[in-house]
Amino acid sequence: MSRTVAFAREQLRAPFTLALLIAIPALFVVSAAGVLSEFAGALGGSLAGDASVALSAGWAAAFISGALGFFQAASSRDADRRLALAGLGPVRVAASRIVASVLLSVVAAAAAFAALELRIDVAHPLHAAVAVLAFALLYLAIGVLVGSVIRAPLEGSLLVVFVFLLDAFAGPGMSGSPPAWAVSQKAADILIDAGTGIGSPTGDWVRLAIVTAGALAAAFCVFVAAARSRA
Amino acid sequence: MTAPIASSATAAATAPVLAVHGVAKAFSSGPPWHRRRVAVLRGASLEVLPGELVGLVGENGSGKSTLMQVIVGLLARDGGSVSRPGRLGYCPQQPLLWEKLTVAEHFDLFAQAYRLDDQRAAASRDGLLDELRFGRYLGYRVEELSGGTRQKLNLALALLHEPQLLLLDEPYAGFDWETYLRFWEMAERRRADGMGILIVSHLLAEHERLTRIYELRDGRCVAL
Repeated sequence: MSRTVAFAREQLRAPFTLALLIAIPALFVVSAAGVLSEFAGALGGSLAGDASVALSAGWAAAFISGALGFFQAASSRDADRRLALAGLGPVRVAASRIVASVLLSVVAAAAAFAALELRIDVAHPLHAAVAVLAFALLYLAIGVLVGSVIRAPLEGSLLVVFVFLLDAFAGPGMSGSPPAWAVSQKAADILIDAGTGIGSPTGDWVRLAIVTAGALAAAFCVFVAAARSRA
Repeated sequence: MTAPIASSATAAATAPVLAVHGVAKAFSSGPPWHRRRVAVLRGASLEVLPGELVGLVGENGSGKSTLMQVIVGLLARDGGSVSRPGRLGYCPQQPLLWEKLTVAEHFDLFAQAYRLDDQRAAASRDGLLDELRFGRYLGYRVEELSGGTRQKLNLALALLHEPQLLLLDEPYAGFDWETYLRFWEMAERRRADGMGILIVSHLLAEHERLTRIYELRDGRCVAL
């Protein structure tokens, strides 16, 4: 039995986890697009119509992946450290834990994308699918990063939600120009463009790949550091 | 109190399997503008030779678990030295297990960590299941186990690779009387085979079974 399979199985055995992985993204896409448009209007943004629905799929995948990443890292931290100490080492434990989380994030992203496809006729489905997955992976990384540092469920999940809200309300279409720290900015740009039938320039894809890979690398490093001896 | 048994001549002639010298550890507490350092260990030293069963006692909060975690490597020490073998078994005070994984899956994961081949892992696992009598729970998830059975798994995982040094932190919490007695028989068998064992407890009633007892007092280990 591979460690990654064991860690993924551990999450899927939690009551409702699989159901939530599919239901939350789908419900979010169905119900949140209108709310996003209203917020954008109130904040002086231009998000509306298909762009709003497309963006809601990204946020749906981000939300569930962020929560998943946090609880994977925080709830298993002590047992993971024991396994690392037993001889597996923090690097291999971190790799298995993050790959298992990525597998589950792919499920959430697929559910969000399927709901998006059912809701609107996406002009660039492949672009949209990649952007939704990028949202999921970015927030998975944020969740793992927070869960590696903060063990308490309330404080940790609140921090993930806080980052999510700041990022969502500062993102493309919601206000004027998005600030540089808006981590999902490129994913949102590409997703909005894909939903409204516009292709994205190569530069956006490169920046999206860099930000996503960087976020996962940062989560990996923090997880490894947390699995080593504490001061 | 019954007098502790003497180390065997063989054990006395061998190098320690665990040597802790002058270990210091302090924790910070309070907000950053009112940070306080609380010293828990102030030069703790102890030794365990192969074939010894050594006890470490102390009041609640005396730093027993802290010392154990420093020895294992879970906590970084502020000073002093720790010399221990690579093949180490650690049974923590709280069973550190994955609630949703089965007993069999736990054995598989730890066998990978200890780099045991399939044959040796299965033989060792079956022996421990038999010894601790919880083989019927192999397919159960940890969340379905009683506290005592979790503790058996916790102990079995520390023994799976037949370590040179076994560190036990309050290992029999939750055991019934029969399992408690079986635990001591297991410990003595392994000691006779040359394993060094350090057992930490706030209450050690089995003094006659121990080679030596240390008490952790004011952050230092005092041989009783």
